[in-house]
Amino acid sequence: VSLDAFDLALAQATIARALARGGDFAEVFVEDRDGLTLRLEDGRLEHVAGGRERGAGVRLLSGEHTYYAYTDVLDEASLGAAADAVAVALRGGASATPVTELGAARREPGRHPVAMPPDQVEVARKAALVHAADDEARGAGAEVAQVIAGYADARQDVLIANSLGEVVRDTRTRTRLSVQVVARRGGVIQTGHETVGASSGFEAMVEADVLAAARAAAGKAIVMLDARPAPMGTMPVVLANGFGGTLFHEACGHGLEADAVAKGASVYAGMMGEVVAAPIVGAFDDGNVPNGWGSQAFDDEGVPTQKTQLIADGKLTGYLYDRLRARQLGAAPTGNGRRQTFRHVPLPRMTTTYIAPGPATPDEVIAATPRGFYAKSLAGGQVEPASGAFVFGVAEGYLIEDGRVTTPLRGATLVGSGIQVLKDIDMIAGDYDEKSGICGKDGQGVPVGTGQATLRISAMTVGGTG
Amino acid sequence: MFDVVDKVLGLAAARGARDVEAYAERGVSRRIKVYQGEVEQLVAAQRRGVGVRVFHDGAVGYASTSDVTDDGLAHVVERAVANAAAADADPYRVLPGTVAPPADVHPYDPRLAGATDERRIELALSVEAAALAADPRVRTVEDTVYVDGDGEVFLANSAGVRGSYRAGQCYAFAYVLAEQDGKVETGVSYTVGRALEDLDGPACGAEAATRACRLLGARPCSSMKATVILDPFVAAAFFGVLSSALTAEAVQKGRSLFAGREGQEVADPRVTLVDDGTHPDGLDSAPFDGEGTPCRRTALVGDGVLHGFLHDTYTARKAGVESTGNAQRGGYQGPPSVHPSNLIVEGAATPADDLVAGVDRGVLVTDAVGVHSGANPISGEFSVGISGVLIEKGRLTTPVREVTLAGDIIGMLKGIRALGDDARWVPGGSVFTPSVLIEGMSVGGS
Repeated sequence: VSLDAFDLALAQATIARALARGGDFAEVFVEDRDGLTLRLEDGRLEHVAGGRERGAGVRLLSGEHTYYAYTDVLDEASLGAAADAVAVALRGGASATPVTELGAARREPGRHPVAMPPDQVEVARKAALVHAADDEARGAGAEVAQVIAGYADARQDVLIANSLGEVVRDTRTRTRLSVQVVARRGGVIQTGHETVGASSGFEAMVEADVLAAARAAAGKAIVMLDARPAPMGTMPVVLANGFGGTLFHEACGHGLEADAVAKGASVYAGMMGEVVAAPIVGAFDDGNVPNGWGSQAFDDEGVPTQKTQLIADGKLTGYLYDRLRARQLGAAPTGNGRRQTFRHVPLPRMTTTYIAPGPATPDEVIAATPRGFYAKSLAGGQVEPASGAFVFGVAEGYLIEDGRVTTPLRGATLVGSGIQVLKDIDMIAGDYDEKSGICGKDGQGVPVGTGQATLRISAMTVGGTG
Repeated sequence: MFDVVDKVLGLAAARGARDVEAYAERGVSRRIKVYQGEVEQLVAAQRRGVGVRVFHDGAVGYASTSDVTDDGLAHVVERAVANAAAADADPYRVLPGTVAPPADVHPYDPRLAGATDERRIELALSVEAAALAADPRVRTVEDTVYVDGDGEVFLANSAGVRGSYRAGQCYAFAYVLAEQDGKVETGVSYTVGRALEDLDGPACGAEAATRACRLLGARPCSSMKATVILDPFVAAAFFGVLSSALTAEAVQKGRSLFAGREGQEVADPRVTLVDDGTHPDGLDSAPFDGEGTPCRRTALVGDGVLHGFLHDTYTARKAGVESTGNAQRGGYQGPPSVHPSNLIVEGAATPADDLVAGVDRGVLVTDAVGVHSGANPISGEFSVGISGVLIEKGRLTTPVREVTLAGDIIGMLKGIRALGDDARWVPGGSVFTPSVLIEGMSVGGS
């Protein structure tokens, strides 16, 4: 692997140089990333782009202060300049902080095994898969007007060394395919979207799964052509499995990230042990789901990833920490210190976050709802962690009448606030599923998984145009 | 870095690639975050890299690297050639050949390079201090950030395009939390310029605080058809989404609500919408675009009528027109694609206070969440969550939240009845817009 040649003595020297004027903790994060992206539209593979980036970030912590410098040149002069930049920024005294000598590197290559490294698979084979997804989506109905299919893979090698003497080497391999379908009938246009992604090699791109995703995206767009404008008002909302998990991610998960908690900018600050959800709700963040899209063996501070219980029987049991916030709040790091690249400072971030499944069946949940809204897939949303208020667009939604899913509804949004929604969950089914996504925070995108079974929220505001 | 781009062209020629473009960039940036009167985070960055586009019989391959050694350049050229071989051909995809003089734009102020960390920190602290001092109900300033960037780009291709420029900008923003009766509201504001001296830190902080505090006590209002006034921040978010539908790329691929509407009225005649890559104050201004075409001013909507779309070399050739110089790059890591530069909303201005005074019942919208996810640029339908202040009989009364605003984009543009005199630059898409008053919107509440 490419970073094997990176000299640990240089890492050691860089750490010492960063601590030359004091500070509590220094770290060097060295990265070598190689990726490929394909994009097909109008039946044509029009974008084939590969990229390789190498670089390193040097971080110095002093109290609650972070000093960070990065460079995309991995030689002694550039790393030295980055280390000097953070040392000077500290404006510390003349005495250096002692550094523990780096130990043997930890590595866990078996945690998320890769059978087919993407760089050993020909571009033409990946191109053929994207074309197959396009063909499948176009074959789903005469209404399909446009298909955008994308494929991306990346191999990221990292070396993380710090002033505690810890060294971690990790290789993360991810592959993902996405299909977006535009359907048109007369003047009505609707879209549908699906993805398949994993922390795996090309073996994750099972053709049958890819084709099923393409059909699902097309089906979503076509069915929504018959949609009526969604009504406005407060009603029971049934969230379908899989995509529904993004609501928990946005409306609750961000508020459990320890940076928001530390600043009192989260509704969950100071609520440990308190009731934040209905008693039937249990929730987790798990950075260690085998080959999960949001998984990796170590986080981007070299801390092993773990499964953290966030909510047990409706009570708050855990926050998500990086090293900085764990230290500040007197907790242990939870393996949630993540960054997009060496150009970014690590932050507390989710990995695969989910609400645990329950005893009901999805049919029972629907049947128990005389009138309500069925959100089959969500388009994305936004939340203010400070208030917990969120808004979600519904990509595929239906009316529930007399305990049955009936008319498709378009243009709906779900509006509410995190704790209230979790408290109003009154049924959870057992059809657990996970979806892959990219979560943005402070300008950094990281791969995350969201999971959920079908569940019901007894009352929620639906905003529509009808 | 002309040496780097020239080497790339030489290596490509030696491999038999005839139509090649090389784009190199280098730059430095600073990001400083302060919290409770102290520096919470300081990031010093240097970046450098090169991207290569190879055109072969209508197929395009791209590759990029941060490794500009001879080995790195040989590898990136080889990869771009291989990627071109895997791509599908399109007869309109050809090497840009516009060898034209660049626009007379100088998006750089030498004072930027004179900024010291002391000055930057001082500026950021002035933002936070002003926010905290503005109102006793301000609980904290969750984020106070100062950012600047100073970079150079170098572009050359085998058809003779060759150019370079330096660009710089800086901005600061504050994200304020205010609290009353245990309920928290948030407010944000920005200050933007080409040099630190252009930024007004105290005004930015005070404005963010005011925006948070005036939402305190907000609750849902009843559903209604009403007049809304979108303040410049909210208007900028809507115009940003809408502008993605004004690219020829979106039109040609069948994902624009404006497709086939050229020459038609798509907005109230009071509205003019311009893309101007040459505006002296525009954050996205440059002498030429990401493939060497001079930047220019392009009328998109004039007096309510749709005039045209934004183009790069590819979409222009396909449509049989000239490129409007809107091939934008997000960095050396990816190929250029069509994007708006600086989007400017123009029209006769009404004093912003008079806008409110003329509304019998409506909402002044000061925050909208879900504009990017809740607005569909293909169908034009949108439904977003808003916060703001109720307007009753010409006066601002109760704050509202957990309310939705829904409609379709053309209906909204046609419903515009007035523009405020408070136009400003809003970063994050570089939009210059005033407050916008719109009649007949669906406001959904309890």
